[in-house]
Amino acid sequence: MAERTPGEMTEPETPDWSRRQFLWGLGGLAAVGAVSLFGRQALVSAARSIFGSPITTGAVNLYAFDYYYVPNYMVWRVGDQMDVTFQNQSHTHWHEWTIGRHVNEAYFQAFGELPADAWKVDFWDGVPVTLSNPYKIDNFVPNKALVTYKGPKSLYNITSGGDFSPTLKPGGSLNLSFRVPDKPGIWDFGCFVQQYIHYRTGMRGVIKIVKA
Amino acid sequence: MESIIFGIVWIVLSVIGEWAARILINHDPLYYTASNIGLMVEHAFDFILVVLLPIFAFVVVSFIWTMVRFRVKKGERPQLPKHWTKSNRWFVGIWIMGSILVNLMFVLHPTTTATEHFFALEQPSAPQNRHAIVVDVTARQWEWIFSYPQYGLTQTLNANGQDMLELPVNRTVKLVLRSYDPYHTYDQYADVIHSFWVPSWGIKEDVIPGETRILYITPTKITSFSQNPMSRVQCAEVCGPGHPWMEAPLNVVSQSTFTRWIAQQKALQSKG
Amino acid sequence: MAQTLSTPSSAPSPSTRRAPMPPVLRGFLWAAVGFLILNIVVDVVDPFRGHPFVTGPSATIGWVGALVGWLLGVGAFEGVALPLFGYPSRWTERTTGWRRYFEYSTDHKVIGLQYLGSAMGGFLIAGLVAMLMRWELMSAHLTIFHYPTNYLTAVGIHGTIMMFSVANVALLGGFGNYMVPIMIGARGTAFPKLSGISVWLVPAGILTVLFSPLLGAWTTGWRGYQPLAAQDPNGILFYYLGVAALTTSTFIVALNMVTTVMFRRAPGMTWGRLPLFAWGQVTVGLLVLIWIPEIQATFVMGLLEKLVPFNFFTATGSVLSYLELFWIFGHPEVYMIAVPVFALWNEIIPVMSQKSLFAREWAVIGLVFVMLLSGLVWAHHLFTNMRNSEILPFAFFTEMISIPTGFAYMAGIGTMWKGHVRLTTPMLLVLMSMFNFLIGGLTGVFLADPIVNMQLHDTFWVVGHFHYTVIGSIVFTGLAAVYYWLPKMSGRMYSEFWGKFLAIALFLFFNATFSQFFLLGLHGMNRWVPAYPRYLQPMNFEVSIFAFLLGLAFVAQFVHIIWAWRKGAKAPENPWQARTPEWFTSSPPPRDNFPVQPEIVSSLYIYGAEQPVAVHMSAEQELAAARDSNEGGEHPHG
Repeated sequence: MAERTPGEMTEPETPDWSRRQFLWGLGGLAAVGAVSLFGRQALVSAARSIFGSPITTGAVNLYAFDYYYVPNYMVWRVGDQMDVTFQNQSHTHWHEWTIGRHVNEAYFQAFGELPADAWKVDFWDGVPVTLSNPYKIDNFVPNKALVTYKGPKSLYNITSGGDFSPTLKPGGSLNLSFRVPDKPGIWDFGCFVQQYIHYRTGMRGVIKIVKA
Repeated sequence: MESIIFGIVWIVLSVIGEWAARILINHDPLYYTASNIGLMVEHAFDFILVVLLPIFAFVVVSFIWTMVRFRVKKGERPQLPKHWTKSNRWFVGIWIMGSILVNLMFVLHPTTTATEHFFALEQPSAPQNRHAIVVDVTARQWEWIFSYPQYGLTQTLNANGQDMLELPVNRTVKLVLRSYDPYHTYDQYADVIHSFWVPSWGIKEDVIPGETRILYITPTKITSFSQNPMSRVQCAEVCGPGHPWMEAPLNVVSQSTFTRWIAQQKALQSKG
Repeated sequence: MAQTLSTPSSAPSPSTRRAPMPPVLRGFLWAAVGFLILNIVVDVVDPFRGHPFVTGPSATIGWVGALVGWLLGVGAFEGVALPLFGYPSRWTERTTGWRRYFEYSTDHKVIGLQYLGSAMGGFLIAGLVAMLMRWELMSAHLTIFHYPTNYLTAVGIHGTIMMFSVANVALLGGFGNYMVPIMIGARGTAFPKLSGISVWLVPAGILTVLFSPLLGAWTTGWRGYQPLAAQDPNGILFYYLGVAALTTSTFIVALNMVTTVMFRRAPGMTWGRLPLFAWGQVTVGLLVLIWIPEIQATFVMGLLEKLVPFNFFTATGSVLSYLELFWIFGHPEVYMIAVPVFALWNEIIPVMSQKSLFAREWAVIGLVFVMLLSGLVWAHHLFTNMRNSEILPFAFFTEMISIPTGFAYMAGIGTMWKGHVRLTTPMLLVLMSMFNFLIGGLTGVFLADPIVNMQLHDTFWVVGHFHYTVIGSIVFTGLAAVYYWLPKMSGRMYSEFWGKFLAIALFLFFNATFSQFFLLGLHGMNRWVPAYPRYLQPMNFEVSIFAFLLGLAFVAQFVHIIWAWRKGAKAPENPWQARTPEWFTSSPPPRDNFPVQPEIVSSLYIYGAEQPVAVHMSAEQELAAARDSNEGGEHPHG
C-alpha cells in the first residue's frame, strides 16, 4: 500500500480516516476478543495468585447455572459462621451442590476410567448444618451430616444414597447455615446429576479453607 | 475412433474395479454385521457399490482422457475449426436415458424392495414378532435404561452397576423406544431426541420425546463389545454434553446363558 | 483503544478538521453503545433473580441495538439514514484506494470484494476451529477442549460460519455481486444502497456466532435444533441472532441479483444468451427468496422457544417439527451452494477448451430442475426420525435429483471432448471440483437408500459425504473462480506454477483427509463426539495429520492469491480468450463497468474461427448508457 498517496479522492477540507488508527484499533479489538474467548480463566488465576482471594464469610450467594457455579472459587475460615443461599438459576436443569475430595471414577467399557458418582471423602461428614427456606427441592440426601430442618420436613424431599447433596429444581433455592468445621485445605465442589455429566462438563469449583 | 478406444479403456477399468469390489464385498464393507437387518443393509450397500463403479470409472476416465489426449501445450494456439459441434443427439440421449434408468432401478431395487422387506419385518403381526422378547428402552439424558417386562426386570445392570442390554442370539426382540426422564418428569426440557444405534446391527432409530417407537430385530451373531467394539448401544443424535458417553454395553449370548443372566438379574433386583 | 474512544464519533461537522474515526471502528463503538443502552433498558424492565447484568432477554434485545449501531457506524448513517430522513449528508463515495473496502459503498464491485473478503475471513476462522476439532479428535478422550460442551460449541461455530457466511456468501454475495452485472452488460445493480448495507451484516453475523461462547455453550451443531436448543445455555441465542444477520444478507443478495438480471440486461442479452453463471444466480436467487424466509421464521420460533418459552418443540409440543422445518430449508440450502458451482464449471470449461458449450440447453435445464426438485427431498435427512410411511416418496425424489445434477457433468464432459483444453489452474481446479463432487454425489446414493441410511445416518460417512459435496463444490470451484477472474478483478496474473502446485497439494490432502471419513463412519464413528471408543483412535489420528496439512494448503493458497493480487505480473486484456462481456472492459473495470453501454450481438458460448465477437460497443450507445446510469441512481450527490 505504500505507493498510495494518503487522502486521495476525498474532499480537501476533511482529512481521511487514519490507517494507523484503523489497524491498531482492529488489532486491539482482536486481542480483547481472543482473551475474552480463551484467556479468562488464565486472567482470573493470575489475578488470584497476585492479589490473593478475600475470605468469604457470613451471607453468601451460590448460583448454579448450566453448567457452572458462580462463584466457583471461595476461601472460608475455620470457625466462621456461613449462611449460604444456594440458588438454581437455570430454567431447564436441576442442579446439586456436593463438597468433597477425590472424585470417584468408574470403568466404562468404551471410554475407560471416567469421573462417576461424587467423592471418596464427603466434606459434610459430621458437620452440623441448619437448612431453611426450601423452595423447589428436587431431593436432598443428608448422608452423615447432622442436619436441622426448619419448616416442614416434607418440603425437603429427603432421600438416601450418595454424598450430602441438596438438589434443586430449575429456579429452586435453599439456605444452608453452618459453622466452617476444622477441615482446612483444598476442597472441591461439584454437581453430579444426569449421569455425572454436569461434573464432566465443568460444573465444579474449589473451596480453600484456611485456619482461623 | 477416439470413442472406441475410450470405450475399451473404460470397460477394462470397470472390470478391474468390479473385481476389486468383489474382494471388498467378500470381506464385508460394513466391517461387521450381526443382525438380520444388518444383512439387508449389507446387501443393498453391495448392490449400489457394484452399479456405481462403472459410472465412477466413466467420469474419471473422461477427466483423465481430457487431461492427456485433448490438452494443448502452454503457449500453443491451435487453429479453431469453423464450427464446433454444439450437441450430439446420441450422447445426450444415452446419457439422459441412462441416468433415468439407473435411478429408476435404484428406486425399485434396492430402495423399494429392501424398504418393503424392512416394513414387513416390522409388522407386529408377522409370525416371528408375536413371540418376541420385549425390552423397554428408555433414553434419558444421558443414559440408556433397559427393562424386561416379561421377566419383571425394571432395570438391568452389569457388574459395574451400569445399564446393560443382553439378548439371546437368533430370537426376535421387540425394542420399545421412549425418550423421557423417569426420575424428573416435571422437567419437560430434559426430554430431547436421542438415537438408538447398534453399529454391528446396521440400524438406528431415533427416540423422540412423546412418541413410542417399536423396532423388531433379530441378532444373528453371538457378540459383545470385547468381541467387536461395534457391538454396543450408542446414541447417534447429539443430545447435549453427555452425548459422547451415552453408550451402553450389549451382549448377545446363547439362549442358555441368557436364561441364567435373567435369573441372576432377578436375584439382584430382589436384593436391591 | 483509548485513541479511538476519544475521537468524536458524530456526523462530520463542517467546523472540525480532525480526521474522522475509521468507519469499522466507529461501527464497533456504536455497536457497543447500542448493546449497552438496550441491555440496560431490559435489565430495568425485566430483572432476573440475582440481578445478573446480561440475561437471555437483555442480550437478545441488546444485540439488536448492537447490530443497528454497527450498520450505522460503518457508514449507513451518512450514506442511507441521513438522506432517507431528508437531512443533509456530506457523504461521497470513494472510487479508488483501499479504504473504500472498509466502509459503506454502493459499487457492486466493491461490495463483491467485501463479500469475498468476509467469506475468506469466515473460512479462516471456521477452518481454524476445524483444526482445533481435529486436534481434539487425535485422542480418544478430551484433551484441549476439557469439556464436551466446549467441543460441541466449536462444532456448531465451525458449521454455522462455514455454511451461512462462506458457502452462502462466496459465490452469491462475492462473485454474484462482482461479476453478474458485468457479465450481463449492466452498469450497476438494481438495489445498490441496500446491497451496500447487507454486506456489513456478514461480519456482524460471523462475530456474533464466534463470540456466542461468551453467553454460554451450545451443543446443537449448525442446525440449532429444538428441542435440544431449548435446554442449552444462552449461547444458542447468539447462534439464532448471528444466523438471522447472515441469512438476511443472503436474502438481500438474492433479491438484488434476481432483479438485476431481470431488468438490467444489456440490449441483445436475451435469456437464451444469458451467461450460465447468471443463470445459476437467478435459480439460486429464487431458491433463496423461497426458502430463506421459511428458515428465518423457524429460527425466530426457535429463539422464542428458548426465551419465552413457548413449548413449541418440547414433548408437550411437536418435537419433530423443528427438524422438518429446518430441512425443508436445509436441502435447498445444499443446492444454493451447488447450483452456482455447476454453472461455473460450464462457464470455465468452454473458455479453457476454446470449444462451444456442449448441450447448453440441457445444462440450463439441469440447473432449473435441480432447483425445483430440491424442495422435495428434505426428509431424507430424517429417515431415522420419521414415520415409515413417509420414507419412500422422499427416497424417490432424492434419487431422481441426481439426474439433473448429472447434466452439468454431461455438458462439461461433452465440451471437453476433442476440445483444445488448456490445463490452467482454474481448469485444473474445476476438474478436481468435479471429481470431488462426484465422490460426494455417489456416496450420497448410498445415503439416499433408506435401508443403508439406517446404518450410515449420523456417522462420519455423512460427514465425509457433505464435506466432499460442499468443499468439493464451493471451495474448489470458488478457488477456480478466483484464479479465473483474478486478472479481471486485479489486472494481475498469478503464478501458474504455484497455482497448480498448490491446487494439487490441496486436492491430495483433501482426499486423504475426507476419504477416510467414510471408513470411520462404516466402522462405527458417530458424529458430535469429542470422546469415542479407543479402537477408532489410530485412524482418527492419521486423519488429523492430513487435516492439518490440508489447513496449511489452504493458507498457502490464500497467501499466493494475495501475493498475485498485489505483486503479480500485469495481466493481458483477455487472457483466456473468453467471449463473455466481463472481458470486454478494462481490468479492473471502471466504476460504471463499461465506457458505453455494450450490446450483445452473438452467442457467448459458441467458439469457432468464423464466430463474430459477441460484445459490441458503439458510440451510438452512449445515449442509452447515460440514461441507464441516471436510472440507476448510484450518485445521489454526483
